[in-house]
Amino acid sequence: MRSEFGQTLRGKVAVIGAGVSAVGRVPGRSPLLLAADAARRAFTDAGVRKNDVDGVLASSAFASPFHRFSVAVSEYLGIQPTFSNTLQASGATAATMFNVAAAAIVGGLAETVLIVGGDSLLTGLSPDLALRSMTESRDQQYEMPFGIPVANTFAMTAHRHMKEFGTTPEQMATVAVVEREHARRTPGAQMTKPITVADVLGSGMITSPYHKLDCSLISDGGAAFVLTSAQRAKSLGIENRIYILGCGECYTHEHIFLMPSLTTTGAVQSSRHAYEMAGCGPSDIDVAGVYDCFTGTVIMMLEDLGFCPKGEGGRFVEDGHMTYGGTIPCNTHGGLLSFAHSGVPGGLFHFYETIQQLRGKCGERQVNGTNLGLVHSLGAGFATNATTILGTEATL
Amino acid sequence: MIKPQDALTKPLPVPDGDTQNFWKGLARGELLLQHCLDCQRVHYYQQGLCRGCGSERLEHRPASGRGKVYSYSVVHRAPGPAFKDDTPYAVLLVELEEGPRMISSLVGGDPECVTFDMPVVLVCEKINDEITLPRFKPA
Repeated sequence: MRSEFGQTLRGKVAVIGAGVSAVGRVPGRSPLLLAADAARRAFTDAGVRKNDVDGVLASSAFASPFHRFSVAVSEYLGIQPTFSNTLQASGATAATMFNVAAAAIVGGLAETVLIVGGDSLLTGLSPDLALRSMTESRDQQYEMPFGIPVANTFAMTAHRHMKEFGTTPEQMATVAVVEREHARRTPGAQMTKPITVADVLGSGMITSPYHKLDCSLISDGGAAFVLTSAQRAKSLGIENRIYILGCGECYTHEHIFLMPSLTTTGAVQSSRHAYEMAGCGPSDIDVAGVYDCFTGTVIMMLEDLGFCPKGEGGRFVEDGHMTYGGTIPCNTHGGLLSFAHSGVPGGLFHFYETIQQLRGKCGERQVNGTNLGLVHSLGAGFATNATTILGTEATL
Repeated sequence: MIKPQDALTKPLPVPDGDTQNFWKGLARGELLLQHCLDCQRVHYYQQGLCRGCGSERLEHRPASGRGKVYSYSVVHRAPGPAFKDDTPYAVLLVELEEGPRMISSLVGGDPECVTFDMPVVLVCEKINDEITLPRFKPA
């Protein structure tokens, strides 16, 4: 049943434009302006006018009072879409926006969809308020009274991974070191000073086993994309079209104490659906964007997405398999750990990088021979998981 | 959108229709679990119907209060100003003797000495007339 459904979506929708605002510390710019700025760049990149867009998908922003952020950003841009929604799946929202946009286009709800997000966690809020805002999404009766920080749910899964598989703090720190090296080649990245494993382990404990440099950044920034039907993209004469080949999602629990396993997540199921729809497997993927809110998160995801066996993620990373020349170059922009993390747009940056890698536009960061890319977004202590597989024309 | 003053106070539970008896139980020193009379599942998270079989025949029974640490994390950087003075403190994922897991935090012990499978027992910490928090100390 699912594979039949999948066939209706595979290759039917193209990403024709992508844009990212200035990221990092960007004072004096509201979440709406960061989103609109990214949208404008995506329109220019696609060579379309704002009025060509008839659908808008967005996520709410922590530093903005608008619950209907997609409606607010449409007004800000001066457009009146006939399909719109504000999605909320915490960190997984980025991939859900791509999946929903693809389904909406295939299903005829919209012809051309703008995916957009912007937030100013760093200067619009403050690190303290940003962290507390994220904590607000935890259960007010069962979790928040115990002072559970946003990092805590992820920390408890990482701790359990250490106990079950012998994953070490050094292996987790290696993720931060690798991604910092990647960010050094990315113009505009928030953190570019080289770091070592010892720097990570000496950066001060946040919530064990995570040190400061095991944790993602708190940033400002926005990202936007324009998607349309493959047919329309072709007729518009847009070159360098990147296609959506596979989508999958999985929601295993809301509360961390009801998570079925602390070390195997819904990413197994979400990626399986996406691979099935795309007609490929992990070994076919050339480049990946993996949600990296914490270093140990990446290790668990490399396992659950099928890039290495369960329990071997730590060694996989230590052996250089998540960077150039390894099994799966991952987060080549530097990810949430070193490029920027402005809430949901942080997950959209993984899409931006993967799309630019597939277009061959990454300059000195370019991975050779990229045709298939995978982006995985997740959130809320692995409660939400969403996977999108993208490909070039050659993969159709 | 959060207001700065909101971050200065510790969030307290506001009981709802699903949880008022649970919080009343804690106020008299009992951690109430829901036992499904149809499928025998035991629930910590309070619901009006069984998550397993959908039955509404759920019966409250006090937990033994004994459990062990399934996972944990020692917090050094608090989630906002309200918890800053408490650091470092250990957040626990406790697996109760009856099966369900729950989030809590350690009292009366060194947070840095928490380990996996460490036995812990319930401590009912009265906050006010309505709210008593279920916390745990080393057994």
